[in-house]
Amino acid sequence: MTSSHRALAGPAACVLGLVAVLGLVAPAATPAGPRDPGYTKVFACSACHGRDGASRSDTVPVLAGMPAWYLKKAIEDYAAGRRPAAEMEPYAKMVLGLGVDDVAAYFAARPKAPTPIAPDPAAVERGGTAAQPCVACHGAEGKGDRSKGAPDLTGQPPGYLLNQMLLFKADTRSPGDPALTAQKALLKAIPDPQLADIAAWWASRR
Amino acid sequence: MTVVSRRAFLRTSGLGLGLGVLGGCAPAVRGDFLPRRGPRVVVVGGGWGGATAAKYVKLGDPGIEVILLEPNRRFVSCPMSNLVLSGVRTLESLTRGYGGLRAHGVRILHREASAIEPDRKRVRVDEGYLEYDRLVVAPGIEFQTEQVEGLAAAGDRVLHAWKAGPQTVALARELQAVRDGGVVVLSIPPPAFRCPPGPYERACQVAWYLKRQKPRAKLIVLDASPNIISKTGLFRAAWRAYPNLEYRPSNRVVRVDPDAREVTTDFGDRLRYDVVNLIPPQRAGTIAVRADLVGADGRWCEVNHVTYESVKHAGIHVVGDSTIGLPVPKSGTMANAMGKICAHQVVRLLAGRPPEPMAPVNVCYSWVNDVEAMAVINAYRIQNGKVVQVEQKLTPGQSAASGRNALAWARSIWDDVLA
Ligand SMILES: Cc1cc2nc3c(=O)[nH]c(=O)nc-3n(C[C@H](O)[C@H](O)[C@H](O)COP(=O)(O)OP(=O)(O)OC[C@H]3O[C@@H](n4cnc5c(N)ncnc54)[C@H](O)[C@@H]3O)c2cc1C
Ligand code: HEC
Repeated sequence: MTSSHRALAGPAACVLGLVAVLGLVAPAATPAGPRDPGYTKVFACSACHGRDGASRSDTVPVLAGMPAWYLKKAIEDYAAGRRPAAEMEPYAKMVLGLGVDDVAAYFAARPKAPTPIAPDPAAVERGGTAAQPCVACHGAEGKGDRSKGAPDLTGQPPGYLLNQMLLFKADTRSPGDPALTAQKALLKAIPDPQLADIAAWWASRR
Repeated sequence: MTVVSRRAFLRTSGLGLGLGVLGGCAPAVRGDFLPRRGPRVVVVGGGWGGATAAKYVKLGDPGIEVILLEPNRRFVSCPMSNLVLSGVRTLESLTRGYGGLRAHGVRILHREASAIEPDRKRVRVDEGYLEYDRLVVAPGIEFQTEQVEGLAAAGDRVLHAWKAGPQTVALARELQAVRDGGVVVLSIPPPAFRCPPGPYERACQVAWYLKRQKPRAKLIVLDASPNIISKTGLFRAAWRAYPNLEYRPSNRVVRVDPDAREVTTDFGDRLRYDVVNLIPPQRAGTIAVRADLVGADGRWCEVNHVTYESVKHAGIHVVGDSTIGLPVPKSGTMANAMGKICAHQVVRLLAGRPPEPMAPVNVCYSWVNDVEAMAVINAYRIQNGKVVQVEQKLTPGQSAASGRNALAWARSIWDDVLA
């Protein structure tokens, strides 16, 4: 023990003891480290999308485990204004400048983190039937189909899924895109409360 | 400061196994009370900037010892605290612990840094000191009460509620108690101050509350600036819902008299109030001033735009509201962004690697009533070693959808700072 240690024995030991106690707590599971080329490029995202894209809120989508092709497309659409979203447009442009491939690869490599928001069970139940038309493009399990440009719907927050369906319905997401004409016609035929059920269904799937 | 006797200490620590220590211990410290064993970063201030920086140094290199000095045992969020004034939220719902940081391996001492010795690379805590290799200073703001006559003497009789905590709750109580037909005065200082849209959001929340609960009461906003300084058009539009709100630009409050319940503006106009919320002029936290990190005006700390290292003292970085010179608002989002970037550069510098230029980002949501919000979003880049703004975007208007996104932001960023 050094003399400065000894001089402090009483009260200082209190601080030391406190630190020792705190030191016992094991560090949390380490996320992807600074060696990942995307590590600093995603610094901005965690303010809204959660740690490593594991969003815990109802209206901001989960990015963890998102296929790279789809994340890249989404960023390009926001940057070009095809998906109007004040929160995303400036950051999408920033991501294109930083290197969207690194960002997309970073989130694609994270384990998928389904939303912790548990939708109303009755809505989920109704949604199972109402969601049948979705499977033509998004697949029987809703896991998405790259060849059709259709993303994975499962485990996204219900509020986010509903918002997107309403945007498609109003033709404000990718307005006038001929590839989406049929999909939008389908959504227009579905009343809003039923869209909420569909959102609940896909949010509940894993 | 209580000095715990050795016996009392042993009793507490034996009983509580840590928790007792945490609860009861504020011992006097002397000398080098935590000798350094390896590379060490000390962070002063566990608010938005400092807590983020502490966490991200650990994420960047778990081998670096990180010690955080923060007197408060719990973190209370200023963002969303205007909703406490309108009764929409409780202060408790904005309060979190520091357990998440500890789980990352950050050592937290609930103590105040009393001085900094840049030449010896030490932070003083009373009679003791901590050595550091790099220091991050994030003490937020302090009030320049001397700028308003009568303010220092008024103490808690004139509330700022500009650091979320007991004053926020006290102001909410005063609003609840105001007579219908009463006058509430909100005074906004000249820039720069913490959260440029904050006072105007507060005006919305107070007006919303009064409109519903005290329909004959009135809110008078005295603004030192000649116009609303943030989201101008959006706030003007929001205020159309509040005929009980009277906005008086270019009215700087220079005097307050809590006995007469009266404020005086720089024009010499006197105004009687039933409730006053006087947001005082501001400067960097006191430790930054004491450590000679502030510029000639004695208010704010100028930093390198890439590393956040002080332009005055090598090895000391400053993040958050205390900084000046970047074209950015003093916001929680910005403090969080600076904390992450600064941590990354500190890790690199300690490893002998050059810093990596990275620009921060900003978003500020403002609540205009109980459910609707609006936002401003800023993107920046580094140009010739300086942060420059490349884009500023506003939500098209106020909406409940933005309100939901504001809740999502708060939840997510609180985790980013603390979990
Ligand atoms: C009403 C209101 C609403 C706001 N709304 C928003 C919003 O919606 N969005 C947004 O982005 N921002 C908002 N802000 C701004 C935001 O709160 C600040 O920008 C943010 O807190 C700045 O972070 P900081 O780390 O610089 O300071 P702080 O968060 O204040 O942290 C400073 C910490 O340092 C500690 N400290 C001080 N001195 C010492 C010392 N000597 N030793 C040890 N510790 C010390 C303090 O105890 C404190 O915990 C709002 C602010 C207010 C007042
Ligand atoms: C200010 C909050 C905020 C920040 C910061 C933010 N986002 Fe977003 N993000 C949102 C919101 C809100 C949406 C939903 C927007 C909409 O309606 O389309 C979204 C949507 C997305 C989507 C679309 C997902 C899908 O399923 O189609 C992607 C991809 C995305 N963000 C990536 C990012 C990346 C990468 C970053 C960091 C560089 C980032 N975001 C930063 C708020 C944010």
